[in-house]
Amino acid sequence: MLAIRKPGFLNRLYLIEIIRGLWITMKNFLFHKKVTLQFPEQRRDYSNRYRGQHYIKAVNGVENCTACMLCPTVCPAECIHIVAGEREDKEKYPVKFEIDSLRCCFCGMCEEACPKDAIKLSNIYEMSQQTRTVYEKDFLLEQRGNK
Amino acid sequence: MPKCTIDGKEVEFKPGENLVSVAKRAGIEIPVFCYHPGLSVVAQCRMCYVEVEKMPKLQTACSTQAAEGMVVKTQSEAVKKGRAGTMEFLLLNHPLDCPICDKSGECDLQDNSFGHGSEFMRHSEERRTYVDVDMGPVIQKNMNRCIHCTRCIRFGDEVAGIHEMVAIKRGNNIDITTIDGKQLKTEYAGNYSDICPTGSLTLKDFRFKKRAWMLKKTPTVCEGCSKGCNMEVQHEGNVVYRCVPRENLEINKYWMCDEGRFNYQYVQDPSRIVDPMKKAGDSWLVARWEELLSGLRTDAAGASVLFLVGTDLTNEEMKAIQDAARALSPKIQIQSFGTPGVETSGQDGPRDQILKMKSKTANLKGAESLGISPLLGSAKSDVVVVFRGGRAELPRIEAKKAYGVGVFLEKERNFFHAILPGLSFLEKDGTVINHQGVPQGMKRALLPRGRCKSTGEMLMLMLNQRNNEVTA
Ligand code: SF4
Ligand code: SF4
Ligand code: SF4
Ligand code: SF4
Ligand code: FES
Repeated sequence: MLAIRKPGFLNRLYLIEIIRGLWITMKNFLFHKKVTLQFPEQRRDYSNRYRGQHYIKAVNGVENCTACMLCPTVCPAECIHIVAGEREDKEKYPVKFEIDSLRCCFCGMCEEACPKDAIKLSNIYEMSQQTRTVYEKDFLLEQRGNK
Repeated sequence: MPKCTIDGKEVEFKPGENLVSVAKRAGIEIPVFCYHPGLSVVAQCRMCYVEVEKMPKLQTACSTQAAEGMVVKTQSEAVKKGRAGTMEFLLLNHPLDCPICDKSGECDLQDNSFGHGSEFMRHSEERRTYVDVDMGPVIQKNMNRCIHCTRCIRFGDEVAGIHEMVAIKRGNNIDITTIDGKQLKTEYAGNYSDICPTGSLTLKDFRFKKRAWMLKKTPTVCEGCSKGCNMEVQHEGNVVYRCVPRENLEINKYWMCDEGRFNYQYVQDPSRIVDPMKKAGDSWLVARWEELLSGLRTDAAGASVLFLVGTDLTNEEMKAIQDAARALSPKIQIQSFGTPGVETSGQDGPRDQILKMKSKTANLKGAESLGISPLLGSAKSDVVVVFRGGRAELPRIEAKKAYGVGVFLEKERNFFHAILPGLSFLEKDGTVINHQGVPQGMKRALLPRGRCKSTGEMLMLMLNQRNNEVTA
């Protein structure tokens, strides 16, 4: 049979434990560096290799992409949809270039597959939306967060 | 049979066979550019080097006939070096066009460069460029990519029977072009794109539509004429992008004509009728299947009824129509229609010296084998029911009531009172018999469009409706 020992009077007050707990709280509150940020005003610095929102690189206003379809081929989420066409100044160009951002898993394989250094993943990570977002070609061509 | 040894394997060969095809039978692939089994051998690309024992230098396998006791090595160091050297020369002037080149993914130059070339190039000089002439509606030319294998020139000479491609100028300035820069005249121009080992000659119809590796491939038979060329339908997402010939040495060898190649277009024509429809005054209304089928059943049991069967249907469908007619009423007459002027296989014959036949439908022989007599003149009857696969030419119809069952475009529906949409040759399985009497299978590549039903299903629904009424 197990002997049950009653806690002594001091222990039953729990006072010592409360003071100890409060001490840990105070120590972190007063003497430690904060881990959170004041988000919109303060931003975290991510590495250059961060894989965020896509963009299509352009040189002199002309998109680098030639609609070779290697990125939709390699994309594991099958979220890139391209329609190729022909125009005066460029033999083959993407008439339509869409990335379904909800399906994208930000693996960066498209960037790696691209032979023309056209599709890139930027540092932008604020991508939350209230509706399903499909990035269109015009949106992707704006050179935001270029790297 | 005599034997030779290739890479240590003993292989039998027919006298006169060259080393490329002997090796292929043994499962050994020798890379080639200028050699094509359907064309003469010129041995000018120098890609197919092999080492033959007791011969001092490397030999081109395409122009070397196998001989008794010959010992051939296809993987020795000398061979590898020779092939790498050839690759380097071929790529000296070749642009880095693969991302925009329609051949990419099925390109011999890509494959052989990957398999036998080097990863690096040693020259940085400017590459040769050409201004391209327009080659007509079928072929898009890009001579920058050409490796001067002359397959196209030989194809014109030896297969299409028209000498229209030539090599002009010499050495580094050599240019493969049409005579005087004219447009291609041959009706077999699509084959230029198939045989070109690079992206120099590509199909305009397929230009930039899809990449080769994205397409699903279904082997089937062309329905363009009674030749029955074997072809492969390349499609994705229920859309056909192109058709290419399949090798069949007894029928079409390696080729097909442009008419057959581009015949698929009506299948996805936006004006194709894909809903059951009936005429109401001058306009057309979408109808319910049951309504049209019971109307058809009532009319078909009437006094004078003619079932017209297109010779573009499969044997299975024709048989189903015969059986259904017998079950409906013994008075129903069945006749076939297809190409005006070519009503029987006796009138059929070659339209040119290459592939095309006079009968523009695939299954004239099949209709005859089922004992369906041809329709001569116009179709006169109280009720005419036309069963058609999409290619048979519609005869003149003089009837109080005419039904169209099968594939019709909007412009073809005016003869009819109701259209029951059926399946085209790409949407069904079946057998057709070509002009030689060879039965061949068509294979389904696409899912039916809209509310189309197969002929068998339509007939079944119609007959079952009757049975239901009899029992009820
Ligand atoms: S990051 Fe990955 S999932 Fe997203 S588009 Fe590129 S390849 Fe597709
Ligand atoms: S891989 Fe690059 S060039 Fe090719 S389609 Fe994608 S973005 Fe365009
Ligand atoms: S011909 Fe072949 S190797 Fe040349 S650009 Fe086209 S795909 Fe690439
Ligand atoms: S166009 Fe094509 S088939 Fe003709 S020579 Fe050039 S590479 Fe050969
Ligand atoms: S394939 Fe033999 S030399 Fe071209």
